[in-house]
Amino acid sequence: MRPVPGGYFGRALVVQLDDGSSSVLQLPEPVLRAYLGGSGLGTWLMHRLTPAGVDPLGPEAALAFVFSPLVGTPLTTSAKFAVVAKSPLTGMLNDALASSHFAISGKLTGYDAIVVRGRCAAPSVLLVDGAGARLAPADDVWGLPAAEAERELVASLGRGWRVASIGPAGERGVRFATVSHDGRHAGRGGLGAVMGAKNLKAVAVHAATRVAPADPKAVLAAARDLRARSFGPATAKYRELGTLTNLLAFNAIHTLPTRNFTAATFAEAPRLAADDLAGLRHVTRNSCASCTIGCEHIYRGHGSTTSRVEYENVFALGPMCGVSDPDTVLEASARCDALGLDTISAGGTIAWAMECADRGLLDAPWLRFGDGTALLRALDEIGRREGLGALLAEGSRRAAAAVGRGSGDFALQVKGLELPGYEPRTLQAMALGLAVNARGADHNRSGAYEADLSGDLDRFAGGQAHVIAAVETEDRAAVMDSMILCKFLRGVFTDPFREWAALLRTVTGWDLDGEELRATARRIVLAKRMFNLREGWVPTDDWLPARLLQEPVTLGSGRVATLSAATLRGMVDGYWAARGLDGQGRPQSAAAVDDLLLGELVVS
Amino acid sequence: MAIVVEKTAGVVLAGGRSSRMGSPKAALDWHGSTLLRRTVSVVARSVTGPVVVVRAPGQQLPDLPPEVEVASDPREGLGPLQGIAVGLAALVDRADAAFVCSTDLPFLHPAFVGAVLGALTPEVDVALPVARGYPQPLAAAYRTSLAPVVASLVEADRLRPAFLFDQCRVVRLDDAALRADPFVAALDPELDSVVNVNEAAEYDQARRRPAPEVTVQCFGAVATRAGAGPRTVRAATLAQAAAAVALPLDRHVVAALNGEQITRDPELPLTTGDMVAFLSADAGG
Repeated sequence: MRPVPGGYFGRALVVQLDDGSSSVLQLPEPVLRAYLGGSGLGTWLMHRLTPAGVDPLGPEAALAFVFSPLVGTPLTTSAKFAVVAKSPLTGMLNDALASSHFAISGKLTGYDAIVVRGRCAAPSVLLVDGAGARLAPADDVWGLPAAEAERELVASLGRGWRVASIGPAGERGVRFATVSHDGRHAGRGGLGAVMGAKNLKAVAVHAATRVAPADPKAVLAAARDLRARSFGPATAKYRELGTLTNLLAFNAIHTLPTRNFTAATFAEAPRLAADDLAGLRHVTRNSCASCTIGCEHIYRGHGSTTSRVEYENVFALGPMCGVSDPDTVLEASARCDALGLDTISAGGTIAWAMECADRGLLDAPWLRFGDGTALLRALDEIGRREGLGALLAEGSRRAAAAVGRGSGDFALQVKGLELPGYEPRTLQAMALGLAVNARGADHNRSGAYEADLSGDLDRFAGGQAHVIAAVETEDRAAVMDSMILCKFLRGVFTDPFREWAALLRTVTGWDLDGEELRATARRIVLAKRMFNLREGWVPTDDWLPARLLQEPVTLGSGRVATLSAATLRGMVDGYWAARGLDGQGRPQSAAAVDDLLLGELVVS
Repeated sequence: MAIVVEKTAGVVLAGGRSSRMGSPKAALDWHGSTLLRRTVSVVARSVTGPVVVVRAPGQQLPDLPPEVEVASDPREGLGPLQGIAVGLAALVDRADAAFVCSTDLPFLHPAFVGAVLGALTPEVDVALPVARGYPQPLAAAYRTSLAPVVASLVEADRLRPAFLFDQCRVVRLDDAALRADPFVAALDPELDSVVNVNEAAEYDQARRRPAPEVTVQCFGAVATRAGAGPRTVRAATLAQAAAAVALPLDRHVVAALNGEQITRDPELPLTTGDMVAFLSADAGG
């Protein structure tokens, strides 16, 4: 048996769902070192296992649950996994991360990744443990919300099983359905629909082995240090109030997208603010496995319902749709959880539909900004793919293409993925990050808003400084999402690439340094772009919706913030140049492509 | 304020001899910052384009924000018209008009700058306040297209601003006209923006005035440390506002002034009516 680096098994399990057979794909050490795990390794696997041009909802499409070298170590926030596939929403590479025990048990099945291909003949659950992979009927859990399915399956399978499941939306092919585990979602890009299209309700894993780091004592020491730092001021926001604390702050600085990005402040934001809701409705705080931050804040809705509350779901289901009633927003959030819907895409698509209804482009007079009842009805219809929901389940880009009449101009999406709660006209480094990211408009793969909010650059006037910031934050995200550590920990690192290299050294035994990790980040970002190129990416995909470039947004002083097409063009060109791409956004260097270790599988 | 000129800029004249003051006015302390720094930043807040500081040949200036441009008078001692010529010439391709002022306006308010620039209609080349009884050519707005006219006046040794006003279209703004702007009426009703300090006694008197009244609000984890607010405090700089709510301005804190630019600059000058929001530096998801 060949030796493998610490923290790895050096192999992926590939399951053919048509008949439940499986095979082992060896993962060479150079590939592991080049891509680390999680998002990076998942990207390499997609190049390898997903045929070019495949229908993401077709049986040939591969879907991977990818672990990382840090999973299973005592390093705080390391219990995370990536779900990676070609997105049915964007048609491009999608990597969605989630946390908790599934990551640990999944990895300790003895594989660095579990990949599924094909389609189950009937609704099924994939079981993976020390005995290998097998399929079981999902008759008892098909149709259930993910959390209920998870509970039922754990109850029937027994102690030690961990389950990642889809909800009804995934079963019905909603293009922004999630995969969830322990109430957390691999949320963006519709990977729940990929599972649903495969008749795969859930993946259940049971730990069967162990994995040793290269230097256990050093890992323990690093874990103690990181744990201590995780209690400091850099994570206080997440610990004390959670990400919902952004809501009032963003409102104060005109970065809270409201009513489908027609405004950057929401007068009724205080009704939804963490500070007030926490006093009235806060139930408890929770942590993912192996996490010392504890960012989960559970709130009470109507009756006995509770839901995890984050900034993004409150933004998308609140201000974005003009809804300010906290009961409604908490209920909408709980309903998204139950159906298995990405809250950002759900809110973004419904907000687009509300504007269409306002303009008479959709025959849905019941659907109005600010109407909480309409919001809940729209979510239900999407989850069932009934009525207007059949259209909205396709996401805003496809829905706008169907409706036409200029409605695409105010479909707030990039590459098909709806925008998160960051106003690009007042956060112009983020504007670039949203435009160019491989996954589409996403704040977890491009954290360029950090630069906008740092005071180090003019957030209202995009330029070269914004390009540098967007590249840097995208690189950091690429490494954090691949090794994997939670980004809520990012503030504790003062010299991140060097510190991350030190952590990885203790686990893997590799002699890597910060510079190598920077190269790793660039490689992962390029590999994602190469996948998208293969799938038909065109230069205009790195762009923002017309509304953001044609309509100013008013600030409190009466001034307006604008983002011109010329400014964005300059930043995108600058980004391409900084990434070593040509004027069409394609790689110029054969060496850089060779460095991706994709071999003959690269399709230019 | 209705700004009818799209691209506006600022010119701050720092090259005076400060002979009555006895020391360079630009470097005078102003609540932990400098007088020049304060004036430059207040002008910068009020215009859409660059700010140019015009200094005397070889003059040392105190630290300024990196985006501030510095130009030099070609000759010393020719008075403000030469500084105006240099400043407007530096901006002529980048702005339609500039607010031009001297360094020594410790109570200059953005509302005043906005009102003066707002008076620059298409029929007008100069908006000249006649405030508190005097014309204020060094707190006025000029079209940058006047640059060659001003330069020719300097060349002809016609160094008084009045000579310029004879050659262009001037709107004069008396106290009532200035106060007609609702922001000026609310935030600078005494037109203190034109109060200058020429002598040490005037400077001392100005420093003894209470700092501007501003509103401070804290968000998220910062609110946990310093209380949410809003609270009204007196503070001439961002550092003073933070101190007023017992908040250390460390790397975990940033501030937004009036909901717009994000900053960590402790010397950022504040003016009456400002809203300061302190946020976690890691704002975002």
